[in-house]
Amino acid sequence: MQHGIKRVSLSAEAKRLKLEKDKSKIAHYKQLTENIFSLRNLQTYTVESLKETTQILQINPEFYTMWNYRREIFEHLKNNIPVEDYAQLMDNDLKMLMVILKRFPKVYWIWNHRRWCLFELVKINRVDWQYEYAVVSKLLELDSRNYHGWQYRRFVVQNMQIQATTKAAPASKNEESLVVLGINIEEFKYTTSKINKNFSNFSAWHNRSTLIPKIYNLYLQLEAPSEKSPDVYDIFKSPRSILTHELELIKTGMYMDSEDTSIWLYMWWLLTEKFFTDELRKEDGAYLAVLEEQLANVEELNELEKSDHIYHWDNCWCLKTIILVKGLIQQEHVKTNKSSALLTQDIKNHIQALIEIDPLRKGKYLDQLEGKASIIPIL
Amino acid sequence: MSETEEVKAFYKEKHIAFVVDQDSHRSFEYWLSEHLRMNGLYWGVVSLVIMNALEDALPQNEVIDYILSCWDEKTGGFGAFPKHDAHILSTTSALQVLKIYDNELQVLGEEKKEQTAQFIKGLQLSDGSFQGDRFGEVDTRFIYTAMLSLSLLDELTIEITDPAIKFVMACQNFDGAFGMLPGAESHAAQVFTCIGALAVTDNLHLLDDDTKLGNWLSERQVLPSGGLNGRPEKLPDVCYSWWVLSSLAILKKKHWIDLQKLEDFILECQDSKDGGIGDRPDNQTDIYHTCFGIAGLSLIDFEKYNFKEIDPIYCMPTEVTKKFRKWKK
Ligand SMILES: [Zn+2]
Repeated sequence: MQHGIKRVSLSAEAKRLKLEKDKSKIAHYKQLTENIFSLRNLQTYTVESLKETTQILQINPEFYTMWNYRREIFEHLKNNIPVEDYAQLMDNDLKMLMVILKRFPKVYWIWNHRRWCLFELVKINRVDWQYEYAVVSKLLELDSRNYHGWQYRRFVVQNMQIQATTKAAPASKNEESLVVLGINIEEFKYTTSKINKNFSNFSAWHNRSTLIPKIYNLYLQLEAPSEKSPDVYDIFKSPRSILTHELELIKTGMYMDSEDTSIWLYMWWLLTEKFFTDELRKEDGAYLAVLEEQLANVEELNELEKSDHIYHWDNCWCLKTIILVKGLIQQEHVKTNKSSALLTQDIKNHIQALIEIDPLRKGKYLDQLEGKASIIPIL
Repeated sequence: MSETEEVKAFYKEKHIAFVVDQDSHRSFEYWLSEHLRMNGLYWGVVSLVIMNALEDALPQNEVIDYILSCWDEKTGGFGAFPKHDAHILSTTSALQVLKIYDNELQVLGEEKKEQTAQFIKGLQLSDGSFQGDRFGEVDTRFIYTAMLSLSLLDELTIEITDPAIKFVMACQNFDGAFGMLPGAESHAAQVFTCIGALAVTDNLHLLDDDTKLGNWLSERQVLPSGGLNGRPEKLPDVCYSWWVLSSLAILKKKHWIDLQKLEDFILECQDSKDGGIGDRPDNQTDIYHTCFGIAGLSLIDFEKYNFKEIDPIYCMPTEVTKKFRKWKK
């Protein structure tokens, strides 16, 4: 699988030269491979055989069978050396993996081996999740959208929480919640910093959406919530205060780059997520008021965008959002989500306009006009 | 047709040569890709069979001999290459290729069929998910490949599918799409594996309103290229022509994107000189993108290219998949 590599067309001569040059590399690689397979056949589980696998994995970290053999070696060594030495071996592997990961940040097998090593360290009570936390932050500096990196971060954070709640001497429920909350607040702040660096980072928005209900619920469990990170507590007092804070945050982003899909997707979540809407519906007209206010904001931005456009076209994402929000408002009025009741003439006109400015998705808009697809998608 | 619109050609003969040639390119990179050889074989066979060129281009007995030589008797699955360990990904590819040649999987024999089924079933964890081998990597990709393999072996049971699908549904996000694990960000390739798993196990009804998911999938098409990306704010890539379009096809919403523009994008990514398809125009070609580019074209309009029709759930020709029994709840 080649990604993002420019095609180079080699002449016959250049091809021949490359094959010539490859010869010694190939011979070395094949020799190494054969050697390791025969060591494995002889059930050799020594530090020397380990070194052989290191060599080949540094050349080709996707050679999964070699990772497997490496783990088999560890599984045998473990029973024959002191715990301290085994811990040292694992630490060495973590160091080696860090070097390889920087070169191959998207190889599943490397991430998986790192996980395996950490669980080995868990078994002998020598794991340092804090260190891993620093490692993954560093790797996400190199590529702030790395899918594996974000997943690994959630994995580390999850284990930090497990560790905090399974200490030998059980702390009080309140103390436990405090620690777990602290970890999640750090994560929340991390998404804020990633977003401030780049509003398009949907990976950060995604994580933020999973952290919000969690942090809110953790605050609820505290005996004295307002004492824990008061600045954050200000935001998390109620679903309502969170919503206000988040809508303010995305408003900035919208004006900075109205074509950025990340912000709009996040806004749609804010305006339709039960966590917020259930709370708003407790107060008469509160949900409608939020919707009306957001509609006004987006319409205002759309007007600005229109005046900037040579043909005075609507902004595509503004218009998509206007349709959604008007649909949500209509839904509050008619108390149903039936397409027929939501498709007012006004909304139909907007959808018609979208067909013009977003023709890629014309088929979807036609389905919406015919009532075959909802204008307010629900999960 | 106006004069400015050029008709883009499909370089069928060159692609056939490109696929067949994979093995003769003995560069260093070729040796470095042994761990992908079984998948590579599957990508090659699918490319050829869809272009109606399999029989003439690849000797069937050699393909089958190769697959059997990758059997790992320690575990009862298939590795990517002789002596390599069995893994669920290479096992699925092996079964898919064998099934294309032989609906009854006779070359495998009853004993190996049984062992393969046991290998896969043994990878299911208590939360319903599947690991790729005994070393614990978990991912919705492995649920899809497990469901698919067990379907090809006619070994699905409700005891296996129910917990697996429960896990799949836990991977759905607020945007309607799916990630690799619960809590993981939505990703088009993971969406395919999740919808595919639902479809293979007769569970599509769980997406009772699929508009949100359809929406997310249709938003993957971007301008100016007309190609599809895998996540918001990422670059388009030919392989998503498969992951996204097959998902839309399973949801019966292919018309939610501009198929003509996508077709143009795929054709644009061909290497008109040496054959093969790359991830983006003017990029390096490989067998993986060649396969998914061709599979995408088959979904768009198989008749126009005189292709075989591809099954969006199994990524195999429909003439193969309609021959075997589909599992019903
Ligand atoms: Zn790709």
